[in-house]
Amino acid sequence: MSRSKIVSLADLASRIPDGASVALGGSFLHRGPFALVRELIRQGKRNLEILKQSPGYDIDILCRAGVADRARVGIVAMEGNFGMAPWYRKAVEQGRLKLEEHACATLTAGMRAAAFGVPFQPVGGLHGSDLPELNGWKKLPDPYGSNEETWVIPRIRPDFAVIHVAEATASGDARTFGTPNWDHIMTRSAGRVLIVAEKLVEEEVFAQQPELTLVPRLLTEAVAIVPNGAWPGSCWPLYEVDYPTIEAYMDEKNEGFLDKHLAEAPETRHG
Amino acid sequence: MAEFSPFAHIAIGMARFIRPDEVTFSGVNSTFAMLACLLAKRAYDFDFTYINVAGGVDPDPSFIPLSSSDPVLSQGSCSIFDNEDFYDLCCRGKMDLCFLGAAQIDGEGRTNVSAIGDWHKPKVRLPGGGGGAVMLPTARRAVTWRTEHSPRSLVQKLDFVTASGGMHGLATPIAIFEKRHGRLALKHWHPDSSLEEVIARTGFSFDAIGATPTPLPTDREREALASLDKHGTFERDANVRLR
Repeated sequence: MSRSKIVSLADLASRIPDGASVALGGSFLHRGPFALVRELIRQGKRNLEILKQSPGYDIDILCRAGVADRARVGIVAMEGNFGMAPWYRKAVEQGRLKLEEHACATLTAGMRAAAFGVPFQPVGGLHGSDLPELNGWKKLPDPYGSNEETWVIPRIRPDFAVIHVAEATASGDARTFGTPNWDHIMTRSAGRVLIVAEKLVEEEVFAQQPELTLVPRLLTEAVAIVPNGAWPGSCWPLYEVDYPTIEAYMDEKNEGFLDKHLAEAPETRHG
Repeated sequence: MAEFSPFAHIAIGMARFIRPDEVTFSGVNSTFAMLACLLAKRAYDFDFTYINVAGGVDPDPSFIPLSSSDPVLSQGSCSIFDNEDFYDLCCRGKMDLCFLGAAQIDGEGRTNVSAIGDWHKPKVRLPGGGGGAVMLPTARRAVTWRTEHSPRSLVQKLDFVTASGGMHGLATPIAIFEKRHGRLALKHWHPDSSLEEVIARTGFSFDAIGATPTPLPTDREREALASLDKHGTFERDANVRLR
């Protein structure tokens, strides 16, 4: 067994400096590294850039707390029946969050460029969309003469990828159940990979079915064990979305709510 | 006449675009698309492949989630066909029918899901297109829906073109449009509405040759929708009105 990479949640968050670009795993209310997101708020981080194909609660609460000031995203919503992410919307409308609007697949293409070790990556579609002009993306002809053209997306290499998983080993192997969302490409494109896991698992368990492992230890810098850490979102198959808390998050617009919300989060009970 | 709620008009109208033996996809933030796919599985005898953003391939979820990306939508699936997989499938031309959301739609079936007003100084920032810009031009067919049928949402000119390539279909509380010669043409109007009302409430001009009132739901369509929305939660939350 290699050296343990287990650290506290506070230690994990402290590795992310002000101004860093951070890719967040999961999708909307599902399996997001929300305990880590809240810890970034507690530590008073500033000027973070958030990268995620489909953020919701995470980017919204980071805007609400003034932690994020840039974002590269595909679609942002609280989802379910809650609609738009209100603090994100306000931050964009008031110019406090500099937005680079992507399609989910263009953000992925940029991450693929980083993962593949090349400066840009072709992507399908985009014909007729205003997004390429908005973002200054280029179109290239097929150099092999098929007469096809393809848009190419410049390399996107987040400083960090932080993902929330069901299980991890002390050496930094990690696995999820259900869909991995975009976590595979995020962890291959980022400079440093941080893991939040529901549960610490013996290596023998992973070794029995190594094909289930999403992130091998060689990619992982550190792991924090935080049971229920994707709250108020879901972590399949362990728990579902806590809709009453999302409702309170949306309804209670007073300043005190954020402190109360941070104080009642499960990570405060587990250190 | 049995009641044909505007909510059912959208959900069933979308389900009727699903064809046998095809691959059909529902994504994030797409409650109606999820309901349409699950409804088609329960109400129609033909076989088709339902894939979704939770990685499910013909899943058998134990409950119908509020969130259309809930991982329960992969329950009972024999594989996880994840986000990168279904985007790549679409880009290589193997996605037959893709349900994609929209805030504004124009007569060519292009969509704006980005911003109302100038993108750089938006009056209203919208969610963003998610898959749209890549999937709309590459899917074989795409279908969208609007819970509000008005010149604000069905527009002559989009504030921003998030996705081009042209919707094949559009379902609203009062109308079903289908693409004909590169533009959305009226196929049906809700039996409690009229051609005149659809014209008055649509910002773009359209062909209405051959349009008829929407066929009423079959018993099986009705039963399927009721079984998916046992407590009426989806219908209540969607809050769709005829006018």
